[in-house]
Amino acid sequence: MTNHWIDVKNADVILVMGGNPASNHPISMKWIMKAREKGAKLIVVDPRFTQTAAKADIYAQIRSGTDIAFLGGMIKYIIDNNLYFKEYVINYTDAPFIVKEDFKMPGELDGLYSGYDEKTRKYDKATWSFQMDENGLPKRDNSLKDPRSVFQLLKKHYSRYTIDKVSEVTGTPKEKLLQVYKTYASTGKPNRVGTELYAMGWTQHTVGTQNIRAMSIIQLLLGNIGMAGGGINALRGESNVQGATDYGVLFHILTGYNPTPSASLVDLKSYIEKFTPKTKETRSVNWWSNRPKYITSYLKAIYGSKATEENDYCYSYLPKLDDGMNASWLNLFDNMYKGKFEGFFAWGQNPACSSANANKVRKALAKLKWMVNVNLWENETSTFWKGPEMNPKDIETEVFMLPCSASMEKEGSISNSGRLAQWRYKAVEPYGQSLPDAEIMNELYYRVKRLYQKEGGKFPDPIINLTWDYGEKDKDGKVKHLDIHAVAKEINGYYLEDVYDKKVDPPKLIGKKGELINGFPNLQADGTTSCGNWLYCGSYAHVDGKIVNKMAKRGKDDPTGLGLFPNWAWSWPLNRRVIYNRASVDPKGNPWDPNRAIIKWNPTKINPATNKPGMWEGDIPDGPAPPLADEKAGKLPFIMKPLGVASLFGAGLADGPFPEHYEPLECPLQENPFSKKQRINPTIKLFYSKEGGLQEDIFLSCDVRFPYVCSTYRVTEHWQTGVMTRHTPWLLELQPQLFVEISKELAAEKNIKTGDKVIVSSARGKVWAIANVTDRLKPFKVMNSTIHQVGLPYHYGWKFPVDGSGGDTANLLTPTVGDPNTMIPESKAFMVNIEKA
Amino acid sequence: MAEMVRKASAFEIFNHWVLAISCLLLALSGYGFLFKLEGITALFGGANAMKDIHNYLGIVFTLSLFLSIFNWLKDALSFDSDDIKWIACAGGYLSKHPKVPPMGKLNTGQKLYYLALLAFGIAIAISGFVIWLMPGQRNYIILSHLVHNISFVVLMIAVPVHIYLATIANPGTFRIMVYGTVPYKWAAKRHPKWIQELSHGK
Amino acid sequence: MGRKALLISPELCIGCRACQVACKSWQQLPADKTKNTGSYENPGDLTPNLYNKIRFVEVPSQENPVRWLFVSQRCMHCDDAGCMKICPAPGALYKTKEGIVAFNKDKCIGCKLCVAGCPFDVPRYDEKGKISKCNLCEDRVAENMIPACAKTCPTGSIKYGDWDEMVASSKKAGYEKLYGQMDLGGLGVLYAFKDTPKLYGLNERPQIPESIVFWHNVLKPLAYIGLGGVVAASALHYLLIGPHKEEEEV
Ligand code: HEM
Ligand code: SF4
Ligand code: SF4
Repeated sequence: MTNHWIDVKNADVILVMGGNPASNHPISMKWIMKAREKGAKLIVVDPRFTQTAAKADIYAQIRSGTDIAFLGGMIKYIIDNNLYFKEYVINYTDAPFIVKEDFKMPGELDGLYSGYDEKTRKYDKATWSFQMDENGLPKRDNSLKDPRSVFQLLKKHYSRYTIDKVSEVTGTPKEKLLQVYKTYASTGKPNRVGTELYAMGWTQHTVGTQNIRAMSIIQLLLGNIGMAGGGINALRGESNVQGATDYGVLFHILTGYNPTPSASLVDLKSYIEKFTPKTKETRSVNWWSNRPKYITSYLKAIYGSKATEENDYCYSYLPKLDDGMNASWLNLFDNMYKGKFEGFFAWGQNPACSSANANKVRKALAKLKWMVNVNLWENETSTFWKGPEMNPKDIETEVFMLPCSASMEKEGSISNSGRLAQWRYKAVEPYGQSLPDAEIMNELYYRVKRLYQKEGGKFPDPIINLTWDYGEKDKDGKVKHLDIHAVAKEINGYYLEDVYDKKVDPPKLIGKKGELINGFPNLQADGTTSCGNWLYCGSYAHVDGKIVNKMAKRGKDDPTGLGLFPNWAWSWPLNRRVIYNRASVDPKGNPWDPNRAIIKWNPTKINPATNKPGMWEGDIPDGPAPPLADEKAGKLPFIMKPLGVASLFGAGLADGPFPEHYEPLECPLQENPFSKKQRINPTIKLFYSKEGGLQEDIFLSCDVRFPYVCSTYRVTEHWQTGVMTRHTPWLLELQPQLFVEISKELAAEKNIKTGDKVIVSSARGKVWAIANVTDRLKPFKVMNSTIHQVGLPYHYGWKFPVDGSGGDTANLLTPTVGDPNTMIPESKAFMVNIEKA
Repeated sequence: MAEMVRKASAFEIFNHWVLAISCLLLALSGYGFLFKLEGITALFGGANAMKDIHNYLGIVFTLSLFLSIFNWLKDALSFDSDDIKWIACAGGYLSKHPKVPPMGKLNTGQKLYYLALLAFGIAIAISGFVIWLMPGQRNYIILSHLVHNISFVVLMIAVPVHIYLATIANPGTFRIMVYGTVPYKWAAKRHPKWIQELSHGK
Repeated sequence: MGRKALLISPELCIGCRACQVACKSWQQLPADKTKNTGSYENPGDLTPNLYNKIRFVEVPSQENPVRWLFVSQRCMHCDDAGCMKICPAPGALYKTKEGIVAFNKDKCIGCKLCVAGCPFDVPRYDEKGKISKCNLCEDRVAENMIPACAKTCPTGSIKYGDWDEMVASSKKAGYEKLYGQMDLGGLGVLYAFKDTPKLYGLNERPQIPESIVFWHNVLKPLAYIGLGGVVAASALHYLLIGPHKEEEEV
């Protein structure tokens, strides 16, 4: 989230698209309802009439997988009708920048951008860049009229997204489209703000990243980023999934979104060189120029005194990816299926149900020598060998079960979607022999380390030299009980020496050796500070000589009245509640909307840090620099961007600078109505094609055997694969069985009555489900034919309830294909058939 | 000792007591229910026990009522012109020196009382069983509840009158429930037609 | 302390059923074994283990494919409570000072009359035949906490507070008259909506069955007056006229 949960109440228009907060984030509805009480309009765009739609002022039905068409139409509407926020767009985005002449767009190249290589299915992005002036800055045209300006190219690109075309593709009636566009575009005025809430309904597509990009473009055109009540807000699917990404629990990043080094970056210098952006724009903060501080402090945190300048701060210990290697989920299980792994730790997960194309995963598990399942319960993964279609005799995988404790049984922090890190306390003792994950890791670490020490091994140093100062140690050097506060402090970081600000004369002491650092601006690149995750620097800090766990704060004051509650827990970065908040003010520092002033420049107030007049009030600003209009020190608002402005032109993505509509891998259409030659996203990795691939990964598009569009989703009562919730009888009572929602029209065609047991099948597998025949789904008119959409939740599994009454996971149906940028599988749009069981 | 005639067999005495006691206990517990009287529930060992007692006494009462038919129904159904006269002079109960028409084994009041008891007894029994055994049948329950209570009100008027008249208001009557016999003279006076019948029958 | 009320605003309800679970959690009610019957709504009706249930109602709509309504179904805590009227067991049903119609299973005799007296078909009976229904978390309320459902509801669809205050604040919010405000002496559970009650599966004019009212107002007094009258008349008769003695014996 750029903003935070409570902030939704400040919006004038709330667009929920790609999510169903009423079912999956019920608490958020509190703030949506608060906004509505004040007159805000709630728009819900979804293939199904969801619980959220039930509360909407406007509901528009959309065929799964056509969001870019829908949003592209909105971009066209905003530009054609001059509804964008001109001052914002000119000053705070790249709209005026001039793009290279040889950059070509899908309208010209029938679905492709310039630079496509069919063999590698990748783009050479050389043409996707700006023309530079003599100062090394992009050429610009503030009138936005230059035909090569980002703005004009944007306009040209989306001129193809006419209302008729969009309606034909999405299946949304034209009047509905216009109603949505008009209502949402009304937030282009400075005194009106719109917010967007999305979840897996946008990410789980082969165009997932571009779905979100399309909305970002809209939000920037309307000047809604940085504003209270605005932003683009990802409703994360787990209470702590934000924390998981912040802490780098992904293959491609370390903590704090520092990239995982690749093999060709042989030393820290080349790593820093590669990942530290440079800019000629003097007004840009270019925050990532701090990369050296963050990566060095990280290495100091994990290798402590072992990390020295001489040994490159142990950079060589970091695991490296092969160049170009993608080790994400689908690839990982593909490799497992191909027998490339011996062992597997399934830690707090249930891939036998959660993974797209779960059948393939179940078979892949059988190729392992061993598997460790760390979980609260035995689940479908740990018992895959006795699951459906498995012959235990043929399976040699040895499975170990390590029972771990639930969140209520341990202390620690979680980071919610709004980047708010909240400390939580232990409510009950761990059940039976179960241990908190951290204790299991402590055991594991100690034993692996002992093995390395005793028996040696290929490369013991990265393990043996890790710092592990998490509490009192026994005589063998093992931490007896892992102190989670020690971990939190290590994450926050320490001054390893007395650190001085050398820019002032005489140098001023910033922090004393041994103290906890109070914020990442104090981190150093010279090994004098440690910090496990720079984003969380300041979360557990020395404040006026006292150690404060800011995540445990529970202050209920709300000075701005905008629901920032600055003393409730702690939010990264630096307790800022709305990021890019400098975009909420005009270049002089006055809020675009004084009634919603998230920050405001007070030119007369004395700033205690500088002892000079002029300081920001309100939320923690995105950097203390004075507003843009200040000629000497003024800074641009988009501090993470090298050029200081937001990108309408997203050259960083794999599949194009502007989002383009492509059909899902499996879709009901022969052709993409926007570009005949490119039915699907040209940059996705195909696990299966005419030329070859695994039969397991088969997909069948526009095939009479699988005529219905299908989505998987979640219900309130269950969580993920349902391991926790299926074992909670109260929740199972509410949603006891897998069901499939189908329209009355389709039900009539298929002679299915509500409550009937039906078989839902795709090219890859089948499940039984109970038919819920309802008006909440309606057939679409798409390209002049009638298309039916169905949907089913994925929370069930054969293992529990033990009598099999729950059914199995809907992921037996989903395809092995992911977004080219994130590799998130396309579980929201694929093709199925339904028959009465 | 004067000459005695037998008005009730041993069995009849027994059944009468069963009927009377069950009825009184049912009535007592009924009052307990009706007005939620904790004093009464305590007598029965709590409301739950009282409920069970009430219900099972219901069975006793019903059986007893059924058996009473053999005792009294035939007599209770034989009316003649004397009965009209009896009613006209209100059984003589309104005068200190009553002149009452000759009666059979049962006088008119007793006959009417028995018929009422039978009718409302059946009503209260059936409705009682419905309430007890058909929970959830909303409409039946509501109707039965009404019937049960109407019958109760009727019985709560009829039964005490009966008790009064059978005890202190008519000395000598109560012994029927103890010995089953009455002095011949008493019977000849009060139930001359019955005595006549008896002698004819001999 | 005055009367309290639960104010239910179905227009704010999102059907998340947090209240349904919170209720079970606080009341420690076991789960029922259920099946999907073709709807989100589950279990299909109130059960002895389900005091508060969200109904999912689909009704036709002009604008949208359908209207989907969510509404809490439970004991209404009637001021003039049919269940209490008809209940024959002392102390089984009672009213707290907040106006809650609460129950005591130990005192309940399991006669199941109360459901017949209830205009909303609420009371259910556990395996021992004892009454089970919402008691508005009488124990929480006694400790100055709000009922578990109201505490849990994320959207404010269930609110708890002074009866008068609930009526007044709803009026301010544009609800001239709440459902239940005038019925049965004023329900302890009020509903704020603008549609007809029927749409939400609620009784247009809830009433205690007439026979029960008649019984309560007429028959009950008669049972006293009748018996009392007869006893008094007998006594009078005995004194004024005297027993029917045999003349010979005088
Ligand atoms: C003959 C069989 C009878 C049966 C099966 C029966 C059954 C019942 C039942 C089931 C109830 C409801 C409370 C409870 O469950 O205990 C009840 C209530 C009551 N019964 Fe009976 N009963 C019978 C006879 C009588 C008689 C003979 C009387 C009085 C003369 C009587 C007076 C009452 C009264 C006053 C109530 C309370 C009514 C109320 O509060 O609604 N019952 N009876
Ligand atoms: S709703 Fe029914 S159970 Fe609840 S108080 Fe009213 S009559 Fe009694
Ligand atoms: S908790 Fe509130 S919103 Fe959720 S179902 Fe209950 S009443 Fe509705």
